Amino acid sequence: MGYKFLEHTADIAILVEGKSIEDLFLSAFYAWKDITIESKKVTNENSKKFLFEAKSLEELLIEFLGELNYQLYTKKWIINIVKKVLIERTNSNYHLEIEALGESYNSKNHIIKEEIKAVTFHQMKIEEKDGNFSTMIVFDI
Amino acid sequence: MEINGIRIEKINDYLWEIPKQGKMLVPGRIYATEKMLKESFNDEAIKQVINVAHLPGIQMYSLAMPDIHWGYGFPIGGVAATDLDNGVISPGGVGYDINCGVRLARTALKYEDVKNKIQRLIEVLFKNIPTGVGASGAIRKLSPSEIKSILKKGAEWAIENGFGSQEDLLFTEENGKLKDANPESVSQRAIERGLDQAGTLGSGNHFLEVDVVEEIYDDKVAEVFGLFKGQIVILIHTGSRGLGYQICDDYLKILVQSEKKFGLNLPDKQLACAPIKSQEGQDYLSAMRCAANFAWNNRQIIMHLAKKSFKETFSISEKELDFHLIYDVCHNIAKIEEHEIIDSNGKTITKKVCVHRKGATRAYPAGSNFIPEKYREVGQPVLIPGDMGRYSFISVGTQKAMEETFGSSCHGAGRVQSRHQAMKSAKGKDLIKELTDSGIIIQAKGYKTIAEEMPHAYKDVSEVVDVMHYAGISSKVAKLKPIGVIKG
Repeated sequence: MGYKFLEHTADIAILVEGKSIEDLFLSAFYAWKDITIESKKVTNENSKKFLFEAKSLEELLIEFLGELNYQLYTKKWIINIVKKVLIERTNSNYHLEIEALGESYNSKNHIIKEEIKAVTFHQMKIEEKDGNFSTMIVFDI
Repeated sequence: MEINGIRIEKINDYLWEIPKQGKMLVPGRIYATEKMLKESFNDEAIKQVINVAHLPGIQMYSLAMPDIHWGYGFPIGGVAATDLDNGVISPGGVGYDINCGVRLARTALKYEDVKNKIQRLIEVLFKNIPTGVGASGAIRKLSPSEIKSILKKGAEWAIENGFGSQEDLLFTEENGKLKDANPESVSQRAIERGLDQAGTLGSGNHFLEVDVVEEIYDDKVAEVFGLFKGQIVILIHTGSRGLGYQICDDYLKILVQSEKKFGLNLPDKQLACAPIKSQEGQDYLSAMRCAANFAWNNRQIIMHLAKKSFKETFSISEKELDFHLIYDVCHNIAKIEEHEIIDSNGKTITKKVCVHRKGATRAYPAGSNFIPEKYREVGQPVLIPGDMGRYSFISVGTQKAMEETFGSSCHGAGRVQSRHQAMKSAKGKDLIKELTDSGIIIQAKGYKTIAEEMPHAYKDVSEVVDVMHYAGISSKVAKLKPIGVIKG
């Protein structure tokens, strides 16, 4: 379903949509990638798996996007493709399983376009309407 | 008057009040001209002033400085003081970039001394001070235990390791170190993000600027601050980098979780908070102080690298350069301070409160014991950077700030254009040439930053500074004009 940029004076706001929650998380990943890296030369050299747990879907989305930032800016590992997204609910918690492909940052081949300071809770609310899921995400930059 | 359904009462030409309505615990107060007030309704900022007025234990007013704009939870330019016994602490009242702040240093050099070598100076500064996304390696990569030492010691760590002198600490807010900062309250991930970022400028609106003192408004105060017309000074704007962002992120998650436990029901999740007295509140305060200390150490190292760059460029002695820190202020912070509070019965009492300054600068007056002895006769320097093409200002704190704003003033210009709009209006223009033609040499990691940060993307900072001046909150001392800038 994808994403679109919204006007925001100081930071970056996007509207992400998906036909399922998993699809919405994938849209959020593509938006994040569009904001942060020049991705033409990123390869799928190695893969990593991530597990997340949160009390709400919004918190789960923040955990997920926060991990993308951490991998990029601190671990210097660029995620090129998110291969698998699995979301499950057990009791009162949501669980997310991700498999991602990417490679280590190399200043010759890669350009980091933007530093996202954080993914905020501001105006984030995952809603379903006629089988489509959507939320606004504001990145502090 | 009423704007967008919100009743506004005029206190005077520069101060407006939103009376208590619904569940607001105190009124909102906005420092602005009528024109600026109306413009601030263009986004969510005013709604955020109202939201902050809902915070448990908030004292007197939810305040907004004239550089108010849309933030998260708190507006940028928001100030709120909360009671220590029944009030809350909110990471949203500090922001992600904990202790983002500004540092001003003076030299004995005049514009005539540097005008032929500005290009070279900017190149040397750019070489010595890492800028840009994930900038690293200003100094050797530190170990986690060294980072923990910085979190406790703040700028003192830099001095102990040869990046400056003891004198610098005297001219830094809180002497560059907040007490009761326990690194145990900081996550491993936050420490990891700080390992190679000490002494780095970062990206976005952070910068190091070489300025000329263009105009003096108050001779007496300028002399006490060591300023004279035509003088070369430097302005550094940065904060706690990834370490601070991570701490804010970590604690927001914890506090969103504990909202129910504390029976809080706030209008915005980003206002997540905890009672100051609770374990969660105390842990956040401790971690936030650690980040604040990291930021002071960061600006101290950058200043030292800048001083080194001046000596390298101009091949002059320490004595000839006569490089000194004028002051270092933070503008994203929560601190326990003593203020005179008018309680709900109209009685004035002096008590300690937790002052949140989110995009606001402390502005203490003459006579305060919390400012350097050298400045006690005149008051604390208030440093207000503008955009890179126009000017920045130095003001001085007043007694009225203590009476009305918990000793706080504005912090900068604030954006008027989104980054997207700025990029669009930069299309087809050679911004580097335009800046060079107006006497400003710029070096940045990428053209995108220059385009996004172009001068017209920002409000005219002089309008913001004038509101604070005429409202009597901070008085103008000097105007600085940039001649060289390095950015991320």
